[in-house]
Amino acid sequence: MKTQYLLAATALLVTAGAANAETFKWAAQTDPQTMDPHAVNSTPVLSFLNNVYEGLVRRGKDMAIEPALAESWEPLGGDGWRFNLRQGVTFHDGAQFDAEDVLFSYERASSEAADTSSWFAPVSEVRVVDDFTIDFMTNAPNPIFPDSIANFMIMDKGWAEANGVELPARDAENFATLNANGTGAFRLVERQPGLMTALEPFENWWGEPEHNIARAEFTPVQNAATAVAALLTGEVDMINPVPIQDVERVSERDGVEVIQGIEARVIMLGFAQKAETLQYGDDAGAPNPFRDARVRRAVAHAVNVDAILQTIMRGAAEPASQLVSPAMRGYTSGLADRPAFDPERARELLAEAGYEDGFSFGLKCPNDRYLNDEEVCQAVVSMLAQIGLEAELDAMPVRNYWPELREDNFDMYLLGWSPGTFDAEHPVRFLVATPNEEKRLGSWNFGDFSNARVDALLPMIQSEIDDAARQAMLDEVARIVRDEVAYVTLYVQPLLWGVRDGVELTQRPDNFFILRWVTVNQ
Amino acid sequence: MLAFIIRRVLQSVVVLLIVGLVAFSLFRFVGDPIDNLLGQERTIEDIERLRGELGLDQPFPVQYFNFLQGISQGNFGVSYRQGRPVADILVERLPATLELAAISALFAMILGVTLGVYTAIRRDGWLSNAIMTASLIGVSLPTFLIGILLIYVFAVELGWLPSFGRGETVQIGWWSTGLLTASGLKAIILPAITLGLYQMTLIMRLVRSEMLEVLRSDYVKFARARGLPQRSVYFRHALKNTLVPVITITGLQLGSIIAFAIITETVFQWPGVGLLFINSIQFVDIPVMASYLMLISVMFVVINLIVDLLYFAIDPRLSASRGGGH
Amino acid sequence: MASLARALDSDLAYKFRRSPVAMVAAFIVAVLIGGAVFAPFITTQNPFDPAQLNLMNGFTEPLTPNQFTGESFILGTDDQGRDVYATILYGMRISLFVGFSAVIFAMVLGVTLGLVSGYVGGRTDTVIMRIADIQLTFPAILVALLIFGIAKGITPPDRRDEVAIWVLILAIGLSEWVQFARVVRGATLVEKGKEYVQAARLIGRSSVAIMVRHILPNTLGPVLVIATISLALAIIAEATLSFLGVGAPPTQPSLGTLIRIGQEFLFSGEWWILFFPAIALLALALSVNLLGDWLRDALNPKLR
Repeated sequence: MKTQYLLAATALLVTAGAANAETFKWAAQTDPQTMDPHAVNSTPVLSFLNNVYEGLVRRGKDMAIEPALAESWEPLGGDGWRFNLRQGVTFHDGAQFDAEDVLFSYERASSEAADTSSWFAPVSEVRVVDDFTIDFMTNAPNPIFPDSIANFMIMDKGWAEANGVELPARDAENFATLNANGTGAFRLVERQPGLMTALEPFENWWGEPEHNIARAEFTPVQNAATAVAALLTGEVDMINPVPIQDVERVSERDGVEVIQGIEARVIMLGFAQKAETLQYGDDAGAPNPFRDARVRRAVAHAVNVDAILQTIMRGAAEPASQLVSPAMRGYTSGLADRPAFDPERARELLAEAGYEDGFSFGLKCPNDRYLNDEEVCQAVVSMLAQIGLEAELDAMPVRNYWPELREDNFDMYLLGWSPGTFDAEHPVRFLVATPNEEKRLGSWNFGDFSNARVDALLPMIQSEIDDAARQAMLDEVARIVRDEVAYVTLYVQPLLWGVRDGVELTQRPDNFFILRWVTVNQ
Repeated sequence: MLAFIIRRVLQSVVVLLIVGLVAFSLFRFVGDPIDNLLGQERTIEDIERLRGELGLDQPFPVQYFNFLQGISQGNFGVSYRQGRPVADILVERLPATLELAAISALFAMILGVTLGVYTAIRRDGWLSNAIMTASLIGVSLPTFLIGILLIYVFAVELGWLPSFGRGETVQIGWWSTGLLTASGLKAIILPAITLGLYQMTLIMRLVRSEMLEVLRSDYVKFARARGLPQRSVYFRHALKNTLVPVITITGLQLGSIIAFAIITETVFQWPGVGLLFINSIQFVDIPVMASYLMLISVMFVVINLIVDLLYFAIDPRLSASRGGGH
Repeated sequence: MASLARALDSDLAYKFRRSPVAMVAAFIVAVLIGGAVFAPFITTQNPFDPAQLNLMNGFTEPLTPNQFTGESFILGTDDQGRDVYATILYGMRISLFVGFSAVIFAMVLGVTLGLVSGYVGGRTDTVIMRIADIQLTFPAILVALLIFGIAKGITPPDRRDEVAIWVLILAIGLSEWVQFARVVRGATLVEKGKEYVQAARLIGRSSVAIMVRHILPNTLGPVLVIATISLALAIIAEATLSFLGVGAPPTQPSLGTLIRIGQEFLFSGEWWILFFPAIALLALALSVNLLGDWLRDALNPKLR
């Protein structure tokens, strides 16, 4: 912190008539659309509610799993986990927490009406052993089960029943949409959807508070430039994200700073790998060159990721060599370099594949999903043009984008993936496995990449208890993905938070903002 | 008179039904709401089930009929995104937009009339010409850019005014007002200017040209000849005669102010219905989008109706040739 | 009609020479249109051709050599390494094309409907004016947003970029025809009652002939004024739509799209990406507005 600037910062605050030191105000682009922890499985909702509700386990500052409502847990002979619950925990309304609440929350969160049910796909049964012991039985050994339920939040059974919210509601309003009753460090005191949501510390929280916040107010600010202005004028103490182009300016400005980190999300290019013909551009109807791995590799060599990072991403992102970032469990450290930028090699590969004159095709891209997504796609178009590939760019809002990808309307597309479990198995399951609706595999593998060895390895990875053996299998998958160029990975998206001087906080790679770790000096 | 009113009201209802139909049918092309409602771990099965729950798998006429039926019973449906009744959400957001619209209309009116009168009286003065030219700059830049520039200058660089939001609000019954707190008043200045600038230019030019015409009329010439003081001629006689068309136009413009508030609200993160609408497009929240458009349409139709009736009341002959106006 | 146009012309020409503001505005408009039309001959880069862009040229300051490539650009470059000067000229082509086409479309539609509405009267008049009311009910930007939605829905995905511009024209045009229709209808109502029209009717001239040969010329003045002002409005509307993300595609940016892109860099210090396109747009719209203003005064007999 720059002490000599503290005075200036204070002056700025006073002129802007901003908050006193007790109230912490922050802004992000999306409002958590519900206060129901089981209704929507999205980062804005789960991140926000992590301050109000708690799970059996939680993630620490380093993403490691640590005890929360469960004090400890152990595997049950290979096909289940036992959780020993914390005693003396109360909900915000004063009710006692016990195993019945966990069972109730499991039933609620795994119901058809919940968006979180996929977390419990491996679970066969949940048994209450006694008031403070509960067993989660799984269909097969499941080493990462505790990791995968870090966002499974516990709701009080009595409260839910008294207010008629035994099930999450999506097409109707219910009490839990606007109200919350968790065990977390903060309780919900005011909720104006889309405008402002206020939290205050829960005085009977079981843990030791690290923060010094008396009241926290969250405001959604959709327009990024407006959010930056609000931070610069001191109207808010923290914004997420800072637009990449403003990072330098914000950092240089007195009284504010940018906290940068690497997010879990990897940005990559995908291909139509099974389609017989190209669908877009002048060569629409011609045989699909992307079925040939050499053409896909040519694309990998043609994209100058360093240039993208230096200009569009302004040095704030890291190149990605595989489907997960180094911060994730199961990352393959032997494959840390992505294919080098080498247009010569790319042209050779195209010639080998019989496309020395290049071809024309369609690139689909979202324009409001990832940081600078459209700009990156434009840059990719111009880089591919240098090796004779003429990409027709069609950029659209994400509301049109996913339906388009689901209907296979692309030759090449941009995708970002953040593994919900923070484990390398996650993208294999969703992006690489051969699509299979029944087994719920490959549901985001739009390009239909398919490799028998990967499909055989996946179930083994999922049930392998031994870490080294598991890593070896993940390494093998990573190598196949790379050799077959299932995707052309580009970079790991950065996390960019703007913070007023005097505020100390912790940035977690999953982009969760945890109020417990915030201290406001002054 | 009664027959005229009844005919106009019936026509308005038809207009509303058509607007509703157009609005509702268009939203089918905006995008697919499903992806915004489910997390990344959803399956195709989940998608189909939710489609069924929301009634999106029904044939279009059925969906439209259900929508109309709901509205006729005062039920605007439930927001896909927030899972709350749309009517509640609209009621929460409407005061912000109405206050912004009223303040900017007031700003446009006061400044527009003042400058209009001035530029008419000093028709060839250099300041008049400067004002006339400067006012054109205001309409030669897109609203969003004006808003962003105002934020940059007055909020970021000078730090005088807040850059977003409504400031503190006070609840009076169901109405939340920002006009009773210092921070609320500060917060409304920039958005109101941004939104009112265009209308101000319009009013100013209207007042000027009407004034010029009136000043040339025999009636004013006669007043002058009678030796009435200039000020009295200008304000008692000339201005009074220009105000009827000005009020009419402002009334008609009120609707478009509310519509253009979409842009201003987006730039300033003003928590009104316009911002709600833009957000609902983003999240393909069809019930919110459709209800918003119906609401705006009702406002327009009502405003149009009132203006028509006023015309009729003042001079029945005018109602036929009203189209020739501005 | 020809003689009337000539009279109008010479009268206008006289007034034009006496108005320095109008002359300056006309000069600016001419320069900008000329620059847009001859853009390929007075720029070194075609910013719409991705193969000519070098990402490493991105964010080059005006008149300062780029730190990686050493290239220098008179107005700097944007995030994709596009020459801002060239991009403005190429963007102006799109803005002007959209503006002119939309106004012509609105004019043809509005004048026709206004004539028919005023001349035929009765039920036809009611229906057309009700449609005009519906149109007014939907504010321009909403109309455009919705038409964009439909077009997206019904065009095959691989044709979308091509139709985007036409959709823009349709959307903006549709939102502006009412002005024309109302003015022409009003004028038609006045003219219809005059003796010469009655006489023409009596000698058995067809309605179409009467409308086109007798009534239409009398509405040209106000129509011209509205057309000029509509042109400025259309250019601004295109920019606003770009802000809402439904304007010209960013690979072929119009002035409005350039401004939308540029405003993202307002806080980051790359002022030129916003500043120059904004100035260009302002110069264009302001000059057109000034011309419209002058035209209104010049054609208004009461102001003589």
